[in-house]
Amino acid sequence: MDNLPYYQTHGSEVEVFERAWRNKLPLLIKGPTGCGKTRFIAYMAAKLGLPLYTVSCHDDLTAADLVGRHLIVDGQTVWTDGPLTRAVREGGICYLDEVVEARKDTTVVLHPLADDRRVLPIDRTGELLEAPPSFMLVVSYNPGYQNFLKGLKPSTRQRFISLAFDFPAAGLEESILIGETSIDSMTAKRLVSIANAFRSLRDHDLEEVASTRLLVYAATLIKDGCEPTLACHSALVETLTDDPETALALREVIDATFGK
Amino acid sequence: MEEYVGEIWHKLVTRVANKDHVEATVRLDEISKSASIFFRALGGDSGLTLSATPPTKHGARRSVMQRLAGSDERIELSWRDGETLRLPEEISLFSERELNRDLYFWLVALSAANIDESLAWIVRNQIATLHTIMRFPGLLPRYKRLVDALLSLRIDPAKLPTDEAAQELAIRQALQEPGSVKVLPLAKKPFQPVQLWTHPYPPVSIVSNVSVGEGAPERESSDNTNAVKSRRKHKADRTEMPDGKDGFLMMFRAESLFSWTEYINVNRPQDEEDDLESAALAAEDMDSLTVARDGETSVAKLRFDLDLPPAGEDDTPLGEGVSLPEWDYKKQMIQLDYCRLQELVSSHVNTYELPSQLRKTARRIRSQFQALAPARVWLKQQQDGEDIDLDAWVRHESDLLSGLHADGRGLFRAQVNQQRDLACLLLADLSLSTDAYASDSARVIDVIRDSLFLFSEALSATGDHFAMYGFSSLKRANVRFHKLKGFDERYDSLIRGRIQSIKPGYYTRMGAAIRHASTLLAEQSQQQRLLLILSDGKPNDLDRYEGRYGIEDTRMAIHEAQQLGLQPFCVTIDLHANEYLPHLFGVNGYAVIRNPDDLPKELPLLYAQMTR
Repeated sequence: MDNLPYYQTHGSEVEVFERAWRNKLPLLIKGPTGCGKTRFIAYMAAKLGLPLYTVSCHDDLTAADLVGRHLIVDGQTVWTDGPLTRAVREGGICYLDEVVEARKDTTVVLHPLADDRRVLPIDRTGELLEAPPSFMLVVSYNPGYQNFLKGLKPSTRQRFISLAFDFPAAGLEESILIGETSIDSMTAKRLVSIANAFRSLRDHDLEEVASTRLLVYAATLIKDGCEPTLACHSALVETLTDDPETALALREVIDATFGK
Repeated sequence: MEEYVGEIWHKLVTRVANKDHVEATVRLDEISKSASIFFRALGGDSGLTLSATPPTKHGARRSVMQRLAGSDERIELSWRDGETLRLPEEISLFSERELNRDLYFWLVALSAANIDESLAWIVRNQIATLHTIMRFPGLLPRYKRLVDALLSLRIDPAKLPTDEAAQELAIRQALQEPGSVKVLPLAKKPFQPVQLWTHPYPPVSIVSNVSVGEGAPERESSDNTNAVKSRRKHKADRTEMPDGKDGFLMMFRAESLFSWTEYINVNRPQDEEDDLESAALAAEDMDSLTVARDGETSVAKLRFDLDLPPAGEDDTPLGEGVSLPEWDYKKQMIQLDYCRLQELVSSHVNTYELPSQLRKTARRIRSQFQALAPARVWLKQQQDGEDIDLDAWVRHESDLLSGLHADGRGLFRAQVNQQRDLACLLLADLSLSTDAYASDSARVIDVIRDSLFLFSEALSATGDHFAMYGFSSLKRANVRFHKLKGFDERYDSLIRGRIQSIKPGYYTRMGAAIRHASTLLAEQSQQQRLLLILSDGKPNDLDRYEGRYGIEDTRMAIHEAQQLGLQPFCVTIDLHANEYLPHLFGVNGYAVIRNPDDLPKELPLLYAQMTR
């Protein structure tokens, strides 16, 4: 248990995950970018002692990329398992990150795995893999992206238990910053205050708001000896906006917090 | 000669008396966008708009020179109400520019704190100061600098009579140690204004005084003709129309010099047309402008008949009309069946060819769009094609080798034109404000008409599925929705005739129009559905559909459209749109066209960028 990745629980997500896993139910996690979805899965995989296969989805991802393909080696064809197949065989966790990015036909291969059949048919080899009890399918997506072309099909979505993630409450986020970078609590408090000020600009002035990950970056810079306002400018302001006037306002918020 | 000497004297004496530092002036315009974002980031209400405050008389003691020069009588102090955050139009209080700028941001920060408005002015400001500094400790050094600078400008209490000195000392203590002063001692004269705090007696919110419903239209003069460029909003006291029995009639022009500010019901239509400029100057000097809910307003331009046209003359109604809901932000509830929308199509339309001045541009745009729209892509696994699909070949060979059935089909790749799967509905604002001149030669409506022409040319070149509607409204029962081109109609000379026949009318009930347009667009089966709104100003209608009510309803309508999977986007020529459009459409949901003449050319380009 020593090499457990650092993870600060927000609420009852660990309990939900464990119950879903025990009862062989697939899980969907939604939340803004950088709020700890991926870290949570890594933590849970380590906690449950399961192998973890993570796939970052993109729009060229085909079903073969997930399931596997034949490769030609020395004039012979060799079947190579994709990450999904491997996870099923080993009874691990298969985590599909940003699943809405994948083409719609790709997600259909998940269907038989995600309901009570829990099987993975592999057309090419004619195999029908039955998932062992410890196998778990986890997908995640970010509902904030204004992605009109893509959305999760209701038929896909309705096969999952869902867990909503959001940025942690101020106190928790401070302890995350301290836990990740061992920064002093006063600076952590200020960073979180800045982040929450920025977050109130979501959908209005900023498209994406400061994630916990960005705060960790800022804290890392500060811990390394960087002057706090400079660290915040580089890690937060310039990352979040390209508009000079918006940047100016964000800098004012930072100055209002760290002093000038 | 007399005048000349007087002028020189005035210049001299005001220069000596004026303690402002012109060279260090910071104007609201320079920082308004950053300031409003700063306000929202600090927890301020995101529905508020930022605006310049009118100066108010403070009545406090002035120096001899100031009195002699007649300057510094009024002061601009910030305050906020349910609609607007008001800040001074410019600050030149301190000799250092940096300090003046700091003062702006300090006032914004102070206004973002939510403090019980019923508390006494001095207590409220101290609490707000403490609250702000506690939340944003980095403001403390800045606050201290501002207090030091301000105290050095205030009249020394030692030079004041005892009662005023006690008051001044209390204010000084409250500034230096916020939270320590409980009451403000009384004095005969009003205290000197405190620029670091909010307005002691903010004028009552304008909107709360408005009687809901009936009333003739009001228009701000600055919207039209000789737009007075000042962003300063005058305190508008809305006065009931006097019945004329107890007022006195003004007979002499000379008297009007003294009584401009008093409202008198004299029937004097359009007489300020000649001297709009001097009226504007006079208005700048006023403490408050009185606007009455009467037919005639201060701009001569608005001579129009607001009755709906008689049925015979009007456009042909299509169908029964639709009942639509409206959002009331004060009650935070949706009011079902609140508006009545009627689809219309103009009757007596002649077929029409493209206006000659647009033909050249249209030709260019057509060819651009033909080249741009259908992107050529490589398709894999085709039956035949220009090239071998290596992936498919390898898969095929390996399937064969592993003894599977391989049918040998789909081993090529081909280059084809991919279908654009999108539908676009363009909704144009046809309210009366489009009757105003956008430039020397063209009215807004002309610009909109040209834009519609070029837009149709561009979209018919791409073969995209599109529809065009225009809207205006006269209260909630008459939302007029003009069909220019339906999704099922072909763009031809009849459609051009309808575009040619658009004319300005009535008001802008944007929410209802957007809701109906969303319904029409949502019925389309395309994957990407774009709702393009062409506007020239804020939502506005007679029955309380103005200010924040209208904005919040429109915002809700946009939100509903997004929920339907539509993509709303607004293109506007309103230069002040940055004050409210982010609230409505989000940061990337709108575009402001600075020069209205560019709109016809810009619109197709924007469309191309959005749909690429």
